[in-house]
Amino acid sequence: MSDLTTTTELVPTARKEGDAVILSLRGEIDLHNSPEVRKQVLDLINQNKPVKLVMNLDQVPYMDSSAIAVLVESVQKMRKSGGRVCLTNVQPRVKSVLDIAHLNSIFTITTNEQEAKSK
Amino acid sequence: MSDGPTFPDDSGSPDDSLRSGAPRAMKLDLTSEPERIAGVRKAVEAFALSAGLGTSSADLGLVVNEALANVMRHAYQGRRGQPISVWVDCDASEVTVRIRDWGNGVNPAAMPARAHDPATPGGLGLICLRSLMDRVEFTPQPDGMLLTISKRRP
Repeated sequence: MSDLTTTTELVPTARKEGDAVILSLRGEIDLHNSPEVRKQVLDLINQNKPVKLVMNLDQVPYMDSSAIAVLVESVQKMRKSGGRVCLTNVQPRVKSVLDIAHLNSIFTITTNEQEAKSK
Repeated sequence: MSDGPTFPDDSGSPDDSLRSGAPRAMKLDLTSEPERIAGVRKAVEAFALSAGLGTSSADLGLVVNEALANVMRHAYQGRRGQPISVWVDCDASEVTVRIRDWGNGVNPAAMPARAHDPATPGGLGLICLRSLMDRVEFTPQPDGMLLTISKRRP
């Protein structure tokens, strides 16, 4: 396991474990700060080329559609290289937006990081 | 313009208006910077909660967030400093939000509907509006657009 450097408090931690990158997001994410999250997440994918990207949303109480779009773009990017995205610790309001958009099917959603790593 | 939404003197806070039995209304004026969205969303949610909308208050907040984001991205095409006014009021049956912009006047409801594709999230704002609210009306203005949304009390 190795810690990865992040450049925004919205992505406070990231680490590499085998062929997976596990990162955490923090804060309410909307049109104001979603571009910053997008840049960081795509940078981590480009620099580490993981097979699996685990995004821990434990500290994300709210996301709007611009933030959800970042998650979807991550899925698209990972799929191009045969990878996949797991979301874990999804909070109720974020889960609600995913439900409304019928987006649950494109992510693997788990209750904790351990489960995400094993899937 | 101030940094956040402004509350005209004659509107009072939603809590005050409900306690006094006075007209239950609030007006918020803002400009088109994305960093202002969260403040308006939270103010609308607080109003809706105090108006008895219960768990639907969060839905109303999300819809207002999406509507404001649409105004900023599409009606004003990312230009900052442009005016947006938000009125919130309630009666015995519902909470209503009206959002006025002075942008390009494009009616999102008149855009052709796209087949739903989970991997393409564009248009999620409109999906939220239509699926979470009881009424959604875009009313073109000579110099912009007025969006009216309402949610019935439980």
